[in-house]
Amino acid sequence: MGSKMSNRRRFTIAVVAAGLALLAGTASAQKKDIEVGLIAPMTGPYARQGQVMKMAADLAIDTINKQGGVKSLGGARLKLAVFDAGDSVEKAKNAAQRMVAEAPNLVAATGAYLSSFTLAVTEVTERAQLPVLTFSYSDLITSRGFRYVFQTSATGEQLAEGSLPALLDMAEKATGKRPKTIGIVMDNTAASVSFAKPIRATQLTKLGLTLVVDETFTPPLANATPIVQKVRSQRPDVLILLPTVIGDSKLLLEKMNEFGLGKGRLPTISSGAAILDPDLKTNMNVEQLEGVMSVVAAWSTSAQKDITREFIQKTGEPWPTQHFVTTYGDIWIMHAALEAAGKADRAAVTAALRSMDITTGAAKFFPGGRVKFDTSGRRESATLLIVQWQKGVPVTVYPPKEAVAEPLWPKR
Amino acid sequence: MSAVPASHARTVMPILGFGFVYALLTAFVDNSYHLLILTVVPVWAVMGLAWNLFSGYGGLVSFGHAAFFGLGAYFVALAQTVWGLSPWIGIPCAGVIGAVAGLVIGLPTFRLRGHYFALAMLAYPLALLYVFEWLGYQELALPMMREQAAAFMQFEDHRVYVLLALAMMVAVMLLTNVLERARYGVSLTAMKQDEAAAEAAGIDTRAWKLRAIVLSAAIAGVAGGFYAVVLLVVTPPAVFGMLVSLQALIVAMFGGVGTVWGPVLGAVVLVPLSELLHARLGDVFPGIQGVVYGVAIIAVILIAPEGVVWRWRDWRRRRLTIDLPPVGEAALRSTVSRAASIRVPRTTTETVLEVRGLSKAFGGLRALQDVTLSVASGEILGVIGPNGAGKTTFFNALNGFLRPDAGSVIFEGRDVTGWSPHRLCAAGVGRTFQVVRPFRRMSVLENALAGAFVRHPKMEAARSAAHEALDRVGLAHLASTPAGGLSNRELRLLELARALAGGPRILLLDETLAGLAAGDVDDILNVVRSLAADGTTIVIIEHTMPAMVRLVDRFVVLDHGAVLVEGRPDEITTHPAVVDAYLGTKWRAGRARD
Repeated sequence: MGSKMSNRRRFTIAVVAAGLALLAGTASAQKKDIEVGLIAPMTGPYARQGQVMKMAADLAIDTINKQGGVKSLGGARLKLAVFDAGDSVEKAKNAAQRMVAEAPNLVAATGAYLSSFTLAVTEVTERAQLPVLTFSYSDLITSRGFRYVFQTSATGEQLAEGSLPALLDMAEKATGKRPKTIGIVMDNTAASVSFAKPIRATQLTKLGLTLVVDETFTPPLANATPIVQKVRSQRPDVLILLPTVIGDSKLLLEKMNEFGLGKGRLPTISSGAAILDPDLKTNMNVEQLEGVMSVVAAWSTSAQKDITREFIQKTGEPWPTQHFVTTYGDIWIMHAALEAAGKADRAAVTAALRSMDITTGAAKFFPGGRVKFDTSGRRESATLLIVQWQKGVPVTVYPPKEAVAEPLWPKR
Repeated sequence: MSAVPASHARTVMPILGFGFVYALLTAFVDNSYHLLILTVVPVWAVMGLAWNLFSGYGGLVSFGHAAFFGLGAYFVALAQTVWGLSPWIGIPCAGVIGAVAGLVIGLPTFRLRGHYFALAMLAYPLALLYVFEWLGYQELALPMMREQAAAFMQFEDHRVYVLLALAMMVAVMLLTNVLERARYGVSLTAMKQDEAAAEAAGIDTRAWKLRAIVLSAAIAGVAGGFYAVVLLVVTPPAVFGMLVSLQALIVAMFGGVGTVWGPVLGAVVLVPLSELLHARLGDVFPGIQGVVYGVAIIAVILIAPEGVVWRWRDWRRRRLTIDLPPVGEAALRSTVSRAASIRVPRTTTETVLEVRGLSKAFGGLRALQDVTLSVASGEILGVIGPNGAGKTTFFNALNGFLRPDAGSVIFEGRDVTGWSPHRLCAAGVGRTFQVVRPFRRMSVLENALAGAFVRHPKMEAARSAAHEALDRVGLAHLASTPAGGLSNRELRLLELARALAGGPRILLLDETLAGLAAGDVDDILNVVRSLAADGTTIVIIEHTMPAMVRLVDRFVVLDHGAVLVEGRPDEITTHPAVVDAYLGTKWRAGRARD
């Protein structure tokens, strides 16, 4: 009888112990995996950029987890949840709604590639009080009085206003002369229009430049000859070239080469990463890209040589684009916020992001080298970079501190 | 659709019931993503219904409803960002904007027909897309209102959006339900099937098209305005894009064009399906959404080309007709009055229609040359002549299908030369066609109804006029049969009834006896005689001479577009010129033997 009793007791103890172990197991699992989100186009025409962003997030999370996860949370590991923003504002908004509804444990997210997608996504995340980091340029993103959006890039306006002074500065350093005349050739997409607006409105007079060519076209461009002919006859000192569609970029650059304006003979600068895309290299003769510059909010700089090497090695991509660099950096910012918060919840992470002020770690992925957000969510001291095609690779050439190569500028 | 008075409850209750069930379902959902889908379904259903009210009933395919949708969306977004106007006011205004856009787009575009119309409509949203990009509205966000959120249609609880969208959808369904039974539905459906016949039946097709596009565009504008509130960010491709117009068209085509439930069914099935596929399988099979969506549409087009609702209706109708006892031919005949089989020649001299020097040429072919004649009130005038003599051209010039090059047509003392067919019909000129042109998808009663509105704008009066006309020709027992299933004789009678329902004072009958058996000819002749006995003037083109001789008071013989001779039947049939030109020598021999 006694032995029977003890058997039963032993059984009860075993069951309780097993239950406790299970509980502890789930508890520790919960503690270990902290979900962070990536919302980006995984299907449709922008899928490639989305895939690059996913590679970046995976790589960063892998590295963080290997280095011991979030130490202030007992080494909790990060886990990525991906949401497909598709190819339209509507799909992006639906994806965001799905993200907040179906991943209630997310502590932060990054995305969503195009500014219009980010605008729609953040309308949803703001209401769900989920902090979102973004490299989208649009000024609108951080001028709506939102509290849960953090813009790591310089805004479109900052880029547009900063690009000409930076360019003139660079030209003067390279040649000792300041350019006097300028041309603008652009398509009428949102990005190009907002970039050119402040240039036309105030910059030209402020910098004493004369606008000698001003051409706007609707993509896709059928024939670049009339436009390039105008550019050749007016021969500005600098050309601002703003196509967004790869086909248009190709057409314009090929025609410029044909007319003897290529290979840096007419200093040409664009905006954004479209003209720096690896796809362009496979689509056209790489020699014709030589010397073409672009103003971007992020690129691989002198501070990230190791990561760049690791990225190329692991992904087989020719070089990291800004989508890679910023998404990679965003995950590191989330990591830093989690470390500071010591709690895996949205409110704590948001608070940590608001009070963050770092110049090391995550900060080295962002031009300006400091991560501190103002009340609207813009990163203070966000600056721009000028990247130039040199021998088939776009490399950072300005500012000198972050440059990995000297700029090419015709000395004539 | 059916104009047969259905009990109010039978059509309205399912709509309200559906709305109630949908609302009830919403109460149990609190996943905000699912609520978003529940909101978007009625929005696309409303777009489908809006498209359906114009293209579905009227038959002019619009690829451009995104124009109205986008204008509505941009109006609401701009009104709130620029003037601080709440969407509660902005959305109704978006309806007005849509209506005005519908009018502005409709006026010039209705000059085009068929594919040309569809292509022209395609251009408007694409043009607007670039206009809004050029204006600098590439991205427009509706400001988030932290205070007074509800006053700006912003709610913490997403169920409110579902209920608003649902209310909008139920309202549009009820509206469609009323309209399809009213003059609107009958006129548009008639136009869709045969625009010329509709004109001849007194339907002002241009005016109805304009009404339809204005109404449809207003609803699309409201849907767009509401969509802006749901999406919160408005971009030109999102609201003016090709997909918006296509989505409206696809949900309607899938569910069933020209029905109340079709677009709703389409939206309820397709919108969640595509979203589900994208959300669940999009990462494994990128683009799976498009593939399955496309396959579903192809399958529906193959299996149910007019949409799921029509397929179901046809299936149900087939089951019903099997149960019905067939109606005997004898029963049909007996209803036709045989009383008026002997005709007393009319002797009045009051002129009702006068044609002076009417000419019409097609290039070098002079189809009508200086035709002058007059028709007395209550008379039966036969127009005969060899093929190509210009008889049908003469009718077309009389009832407005053709504008004569010279000459005039005086009807009851008024110069009506060059009037449009529907206006002439309203004035009292009815006509039938050489090749029958019934509205096949409509019931016999609806066919008659389509012709009745020109005299009786009120539904009740029109309905009783239609019934009267059907009684008159002996088709009353077939009132609810689809016209597509009638015999040739019944179709001829139906055309007659459609013309009669408009209460014409003169009837132009174009080869009404063509292709009929001898017994059938008598039925028609009896009806025509009884009409003339009641004072309707009749002008008839016919080749069947024995029947004509028994029917008409007077003949006009046309040859090479000109009047050869006119006179009483006995004069004409023996006139040497007529015999040479038309009747032939065999006729003479036949007459001689009689």
